[in-house]
Amino acid sequence: MAESGEAIIRLENIVKRFGGAQALSGASLAVARGSIHGLVGQNGAGKSTLIKLIAGLHRADGGAVEIDGKSYDRLTPHLAEELGIHFIHQDRLLVPTFTVGEALFLGREPRIPGTPFLDRAAMRRRSAEILERYFGVSLPHSALIAELSAAEKQIVQITRALIADPKVLVFDEPTAALVRREADLLFQLIRRLSAEGVTILYISHYLGEIVDLCDTVTVLRNGRDVATLPVAETSAAKIGALMVNRDIGELYPKSDVTPGEVILQVDDLVLAGRYEAVSFSLRRGEVLGLTGLVGSGAKEVVRTLFGLDRPTGGTVSVKGETVFSADPAAATERRLALVPEDRRSDGVALDLSVTENTTLASLGRFSHGLINRGAERRQTEDLVQRLQIKTDGVDALVKTLSGGNQQKVAIAKWLSRQSEIYLLDEPTVGVDIAAKVEIYRLIGELAERGAGVLVLSSDIEELLGVTDRLLVLFRGRVTRQFISSETSPDQVLADVTGAYETLLHAG
Amino acid sequence: MLVDVPYIPATALEVEAQRAFEPARTSPAFARRLAALALRGGALAVFLGVLIVFSVTAPFFLTVGNIGNVLGQSAISGVLAIGLTIVIIAGGSNVVTGGIDLSLAANMGLSAAVYASLAQAGHGDGVAVLGALVTGLAIGAVNAAAITLAGIVPLLATLAVMNVVAGLELVLTQNTVVPASSEFLSALSAGGPLGIPVLAYILLGFTLVVAAIVQYTPLGLRLYAVGAFPDAARAAGLPVRSFVAGSFLASGLCGGLAGILSVSYLSGSTTGAGDMLLPVVVTALLGTVFSRRLVPTITGTLLSALFVGFLVNGFQLLNISSTLVSGVQGLLILLVVSATTLLGRKENA
Repeated sequence: MAESGEAIIRLENIVKRFGGAQALSGASLAVARGSIHGLVGQNGAGKSTLIKLIAGLHRADGGAVEIDGKSYDRLTPHLAEELGIHFIHQDRLLVPTFTVGEALFLGREPRIPGTPFLDRAAMRRRSAEILERYFGVSLPHSALIAELSAAEKQIVQITRALIADPKVLVFDEPTAALVRREADLLFQLIRRLSAEGVTILYISHYLGEIVDLCDTVTVLRNGRDVATLPVAETSAAKIGALMVNRDIGELYPKSDVTPGEVILQVDDLVLAGRYEAVSFSLRRGEVLGLTGLVGSGAKEVVRTLFGLDRPTGGTVSVKGETVFSADPAAATERRLALVPEDRRSDGVALDLSVTENTTLASLGRFSHGLINRGAERRQTEDLVQRLQIKTDGVDALVKTLSGGNQQKVAIAKWLSRQSEIYLLDEPTVGVDIAAKVEIYRLIGELAERGAGVLVLSSDIEELLGVTDRLLVLFRGRVTRQFISSETSPDQVLADVTGAYETLLHAG
Repeated sequence: MLVDVPYIPATALEVEAQRAFEPARTSPAFARRLAALALRGGALAVFLGVLIVFSVTAPFFLTVGNIGNVLGQSAISGVLAIGLTIVIIAGGSNVVTGGIDLSLAANMGLSAAVYASLAQAGHGDGVAVLGALVTGLAIGAVNAAAITLAGIVPLLATLAVMNVVAGLELVLTQNTVVPASSEFLSALSAGGPLGIPVLAYILLGFTLVVAAIVQYTPLGLRLYAVGAFPDAARAAGLPVRSFVAGSFLASGLCGGLAGILSVSYLSGSTTGAGDMLLPVVVTALLGTVFSRRLVPTITGTLLSALFVGFLVNGFQLLNISSTLVSGVQGLLILLVVSATTLLGRKENA
């Protein structure tokens, strides 16, 4: 923490919880006046939460906030603005039915002198001037925000902050919607603003940008800051290493299971326009990982296996029997289980009890015309204990459970169905770290009991920790297969992003 | 992005960044503009078409007297629709979760009853006017509290308040007509310059004042921001809940004013104010199609009040059963809401 004496923004030991999940657990950040300060971390590390806290959109559950040497109990958007802190949020907060001028001046509208009326002509003129000065662009003055491109909206958003003559400008993933040329313009602008004395807090996934642009960088991991370094003394690779949790061993309890017979065999599976020639096999006791960018086809492969999409070619066989149907009911019949990504809308029924959710897919076993409540309860109590689901009882509504425990209920549903092939789609998104470990342990147990488990995840570290093998999809094809225990995250990442392939294609 | 990227070599990033962004100019925006244009043009064409058909078939339709008549007859529903428009602007035009005030017609009924009762009890016009306006404002305050403090969706909150208010009116008037007459009331219901009723001038004047505030002041601009994108308004430092509460107070006040107008128009307070609800909702929703951005505007609401007024008037002149009018109004709501909703969906897609 260098230059802490002249920190313009200082956060100490900030704690923030959302329901059961802890987004920040003791994060600190000190931004020196006049510097360009980078903030990096993986998805879910707490970057956006920290920013929204400074913006006054969230309130911290614990810790101290100090701006310009004065401490504040509670920041509001208005107060933050008064203190000269302005934000370029990731999601563009512009009213879609406004013109560019209206959007730029909302909240500090120019008036026709001596009247209470808006000076629309001045708004038009000044917005055109400012856009021209900072970005060298002109937007049609009658255009509505809804009609602008993503980059143009971003420009309007940044210009909005500049009009206010800010002391601190916070950029939250500003280049995510910009093309190269626009991003370069933005970097020039940021350097110019910094030279004029504006303090910049810059949040990005892109370490290349951080290294190019920033003076100092703070790395967040799992809701706390793990390091604050001068950029001159570090490198993108070092920052990357800090972002990744290295003590993988404790996090991923992995049991040794010798894979048995092939339980799921996929040959040359094709879904036109989505993926092609996907082949792999899954054995009993094996955990197979699947990963890829959005649009790589990984998600669609899982959907197809569960019968949600009808493949246009290829075969899927379960326990040696070829399956053709595109029908989830038939899939469950064949002991396939899907734990979907969006568990709150697809995975569990929030307003039903733990018991009802657990037996939902296997009611046939518990009913002969009428549901046998006793048997249903016994089964649920057994599963609640086995999976260590934390609940007030089997009659508690699922919506009262934490994210991780909801996920366990979603898995319990399929255990009750006596499924043998588990397709888990992003099983740990939005659950806290303790529940994550339990879910990993559960995956291991499923494998131990002779099930085949397919895990689709975008968290590569997690995949390498829990799986035996890992398939990477890129643009609809399986481009690489890794043995998880012999692979590092960087290697997988190169394939996921198609670092080499795209260069060839893009030429 | 699906993959949570700890570190990507800079070269891969640049390729990623460039690949992710297709040419900026999107055709959906253009298509939406076209559709919006068609909707607006269509609405104006229908408006003109209705005027032409009626003026050809009904002999007195396009005389100054009749137009003034329509304006005067539309005054009460027009004032109410302007109040509703303010609520829709501040609450957003989502039909289910957005701004709506169903208690407006009942509000007008109770305010009129309060006015007439006070007048009958021997109080002067000043007291009665104040009584009606305070009644309207109080109803607005109840709505505002239920919505911004208790967090009930406007549709349900104002539905409940509507029933309470209608009940209070019954208690106050014992479900009878309360006659009221005074010089002030007769002056309001009299004919003005050019043989046009005073009520017509009041509607035009009221529209002018509210339109000036809503369309041409920073306050109005912020009102639109609060309704269209509360998050953006909040990020711009606007007190969103105060704006929403204020919009219900304003619409309550409109209800009180409409109550006074209705006492003068009907020479007293009568039962059945609730029948006014449908035309008011039609008017406010229909007003959207008369604006360039397809948002509710005060001037658009005036135009649509006239449209609905001409429709009713034309039906009367042609001796078409007035029972058909409700059906036509219901159809208009369906058409307008589905057209604007479909457009909105395209925008979000």
